[in-house]
Amino acid sequence: MTLASRVASELEEMPPSAAVSLQVGVDYYLDAIRAVVDIYAAKRDVDVIYVTATISYQAIADILKALEIDSSKVHFVDCISHSMMGSSMQGGQVLFVESPTMLENIMLKTEYLLRKSEAKEKLVLLDSVNSLAIHNSNNVLTEFLHIFASSLRSRGVNTLILTVIEHTTPELNNMVNLVCDSVIRVKEEEGPK
Amino acid sequence: MVEMAEKENVRERCKTGIDSLDNILYGGIPRANTILLTGSVGTGKTSLALEFLLHGAIEGEPSMFLSVTEASEKLMVNVIPYDFFESKLIDDGKLILIDLPLLYQRLGMVSAELSMEEVGLLVSSILDLVREMKVKRLVVDSITSIGYKLKTQEKIRDFILRLARGLSSQGCTSMLVSEVTTGSQGYSTFMVEEALADGIILMGNMERRGDLLRTLQVIKMRGTSHSRAKYVLDLTPAGVLLVPLLKGGGGS
Repeated sequence: MTLASRVASELEEMPPSAAVSLQVGVDYYLDAIRAVVDIYAAKRDVDVIYVTATISYQAIADILKALEIDSSKVHFVDCISHSMMGSSMQGGQVLFVESPTMLENIMLKTEYLLRKSEAKEKLVLLDSVNSLAIHNSNNVLTEFLHIFASSLRSRGVNTLILTVIEHTTPELNNMVNLVCDSVIRVKEEEGPK
Repeated sequence: MVEMAEKENVRERCKTGIDSLDNILYGGIPRANTILLTGSVGTGKTSLALEFLLHGAIEGEPSMFLSVTEASEKLMVNVIPYDFFESKLIDDGKLILIDLPLLYQRLGMVSAELSMEEVGLLVSSILDLVREMKVKRLVVDSITSIGYKLKTQEKIRDFILRLARGLSSQGCTSMLVSEVTTGSQGYSTFMVEEALADGIILMGNMERRGDLLRTLQVIKMRGTSHSRAKYVLDLTPAGVLLVPLLKGGGGS
């Protein structure tokens, strides 16, 4: 069983409306994305709303294409392209937030995509808390995570909050643990636990 | 407190159809209230007001937009992008768009300033339209533009009072759109509008660390409890969406 498959089977055990901390080793980022988008979401016919604050939507779309992962059910909220002065033409699969400091707009764009989605099951992937922490204070980020995860939970939506293990401080861990029900840790030597 | 809550529950609500706003208002605007929808340019007042009417029209309540500054054709450009807009609403007379300058012309009100008699005539003409078309939701966009034609506070007060009373007696819930300049102290240009309205919804542009956020706050609403917090809004094809403004332990 590949690492991605193992992570996907962990995701299968997620209860409905759960918020899960997805802690990923820096070398296993792509395995985690494959696990969420390719194996878990595709198998269960889940609409994925991928909030990206780490790399641009275009870069992720290119990666998914290179990995031959079907991304037709993935909708993106891109919080980074605009502030990098990159392309921010609104398209069918992506909505742009002007800056990763506009946390309210992340919630608003996610809300809009949830309303548009006709899928029975929806999943929001927040990639990543580490990147958002570069642009926001711990106080405001904690408040954001609390409101965001609680609001998604109340609507029956599953949330995955991604952190990169090597870049995570104890404060960030506490922040994520506060709003999450469980943890999936992705590192080769440990496997998911 | 229990008695007050019971009374609030008894008062019939006019649901705006904007879910988050109805939650902020604990169910909607108390029916037949006149609300001042105020804010500076580019804050989304007209879009919110149009959505309020659209939801009413969809629910079968004849809804009228009285436009002072923009022609109906231009307004349609704002309405069409909504996912829930159907031109049938206009064809069936559920959504009615009226250009006030045409009404001025029909009534022979050609002078730059209306007399007291003309104020009375204008109000009764609007109320006649409301009665004839059984209008249950009315938006006047904007009361500020009408105010410039009335000039004096006395005439503006008279216009709003007569209009609000007449609309209330017909069970019509109304929004008067008010334009204020950025950084303005009050909620209206002529200062009388805010005192006469049953409710005030303030829309704004808030700058935070170089980001410009559209905000909404309910300042007052007679006949109901409501949240007084500030919310951030987005104008989308699915309508107005609102989320709480993050304070982060500080905030402005």
